[in-house]
Amino acid sequence: METEFEKSKPSGKGEQPIAVARRTPETSQDVNSDGIKASGQDSANVTTYSAQSSIRNPFQLIQDIFADFWLGRELAWRLFLRNIRGLYRQTLLGLFWAFLPPIANTAIWIFLRQANVFSMGDTQVDGTVYILTGMILWQAFIDAFQMPLAMFNKNRNLISKLNFPRESLLLVGVGEVLFDLLIRLLLLIPAFLIFQVPVHATVFYAPIAILGLVLIGASLGLLLMPIGSLYQDVGRFISMVLPFWMIITPIIYVPLTTFPGSLLNWVNPASPLLLLARDWLLIGTTDHLAIGLIFAAAAIPISLIALVVYRVSIPVLIERMTA
Amino acid sequence: MNLSRSSSSDLILDVDHVWKIYCRNLKRAMWYGLKDVGREIIGGGRDRSHHDLRSGEFFAISDASFQVRRGECLAMIGPNGAGKSTMLKMINGLIKPDSGSIKITGKIGALIELGTGFNPILSGRENIYINAAVLGIRKREVDGLMEKIVEFAELGHVINDPIKTYSSGMRVRLGFSIAANLRPELLLMDEVLAVGDVGFRMKCFAHLNELVKQGVSIVLVTHAVGMLQRVATRSVVFGQGKIVHDGDLETGCTIYEEMLGASDRVRAKKKEEPGRIGEIGSVEVCNEAMEPQAEFETGETVRLRIQINAREKIKDARLIVALCSPVHGVLASVSSPYQGIYFDVDPPGRVITLEIPKIPFLIGAYHFNISLFGREKVDFYHRSSLRGVFRIVGPPTNADGYGINGITKLQHSWEING
Repeated sequence: METEFEKSKPSGKGEQPIAVARRTPETSQDVNSDGIKASGQDSANVTTYSAQSSIRNPFQLIQDIFADFWLGRELAWRLFLRNIRGLYRQTLLGLFWAFLPPIANTAIWIFLRQANVFSMGDTQVDGTVYILTGMILWQAFIDAFQMPLAMFNKNRNLISKLNFPRESLLLVGVGEVLFDLLIRLLLLIPAFLIFQVPVHATVFYAPIAILGLVLIGASLGLLLMPIGSLYQDVGRFISMVLPFWMIITPIIYVPLTTFPGSLLNWVNPASPLLLLARDWLLIGTTDHLAIGLIFAAAAIPISLIALVVYRVSIPVLIERMTA
Repeated sequence: MNLSRSSSSDLILDVDHVWKIYCRNLKRAMWYGLKDVGREIIGGGRDRSHHDLRSGEFFAISDASFQVRRGECLAMIGPNGAGKSTMLKMINGLIKPDSGSIKITGKIGALIELGTGFNPILSGRENIYINAAVLGIRKREVDGLMEKIVEFAELGHVINDPIKTYSSGMRVRLGFSIAANLRPELLLMDEVLAVGDVGFRMKCFAHLNELVKQGVSIVLVTHAVGMLQRVATRSVVFGQGKIVHDGDLETGCTIYEEMLGASDRVRAKKKEEPGRIGEIGSVEVCNEAMEPQAEFETGETVRLRIQINAREKIKDARLIVALCSPVHGVLASVSSPYQGIYFDVDPPGRVITLEIPKIPFLIGAYHFNISLFGREKVDFYHRSSLRGVFRIVGPPTNADGYGINGITKLQHSWEING
């Protein structure tokens, strides 16, 4: 993994100054062996902090956000490795913990269905695989949705004491969500074999819908993060609402097609992309292409807005954390 | 402002009329926080003019301006809550000023808290990579510095063990070593001078001095005023959010010590109760000629003129006088019975003078605590703290090992043998 990381770095550029100045584009200047800028080149790298909102200059702001994603990539990778290693170094069952929630959830619902507690409708494939896939996708969505606040809370100490590209925390968060998702998707291999589900070519499209699902979940979570970090009510509310949200998402049943139930597919941001991803993974044809793509497209501007909110709110949040 | 802009190329940090508003009420602070986030998002973040405080708010920093040049080591000192750490956070870009601006030329490296971001399960080496990445350093560069960092921290024997097996001193050493070996242009340090054992501390000071010599600027916040002389070249003293001194270190430290004393004085005054039989009245510090004087040099004679007031006759009174420093506490205590002196006080009172010839103390602020007793232990009349404040202002001390330093001037002589 270390070597992979080595390759991903850009080559060429001269030695970079060692500590990174925030909000200043990296310039390739001559630096002496100690990393201290030689005198006579002082015109570069002036950072100014004032009361003005950086949002007054939106293009610069967006540029800064992406610059920090780039600057923070190595840190993100380090933190990602740290978390993954740390996560499994002190467990006996290791990766099994990643598999457990979707398996347990699926088992409960399969049991209830076999007891005829509810009916799923025509799922076109085996009900177990249908629910398992839905559970894995739903888990990825809510992981992504809860990630920004969890990330912020977990790294409060770091955020309030060091000035580093905070965007890297989001990279770590999304990375962890995708990592867990990939591990869980492995469950589908035995499931496909056991329940003899044919593999369709649309499987290759599925990543688009899955990434859209994660992106929209993370963006919505990011929009809630500032309020959530100030008021714990938000976190409590979310954990209270999640079971209901799962029920109104077509995971354990096929989506409702008649009004007003069909309205749920439009107001529930988790629904369209989850349905599209599942259809592409399991069935090969889909009725949710248009709405899914609309939501996937909408995820992009929403995520940009969320990133801007994240960036401008952090200094205010730090102030309230320490004041 | 900015009078000496002639050498503006050497200006590393320019803090220009900065104000910062805080709120102590938690619920309100959160609500204001939410409103501020909203205002930032719609682009309404603005210079808050100097008097539009919302309910419950106060100025954590008012109208602070100072500058730091290349190769300068500035100490920010002041009592708790004076605004030093807030200022450091603003310089580090963690929080925004509410008015004014802060300009930084070059790269910042902060040691706000050593070892922030260490993961206890991972090894020291792995944590060096993570910590360096947080500070913005590439793996390639860390590889080059790894030996130096490990060697400086003196942790070569345990660097591959998990951090949780380290003692707190070892963690601190590792944190300092990482941050100090990265060579930024401006180094910010918050209360990190008191790290490790004495040996390691001296090594840190030597390292910081070396950095300063190479042109690195340092801004540090500390309460350990005694250690400052080893690194700092200048001081900015904060008092209740305002800068009360910007200049040489000795004066800064003295002012700070006086401020500590002053806050204690207010507290002591509140405790005083009326209606005593005998009490300590006015207290004056004088020179040899009995003229009131507040500043002395080490070795001069200090006379303390104590007025004792009495409502009734006090027989065989005795005085106990303690000479104190706000930082170090009681330095010496003397009593009149030690020299066989008991005295009677008739109403309305009398004056007692204590002479301290050749005062041995070095630069700093000092004061007296005075107690009045009768002959027996239980005959207590009055105790008065923080009286007769005076300063020793010279001659200069030297913390680098070329002069004398500490609290007192020790009588001594050297002999070269063998």
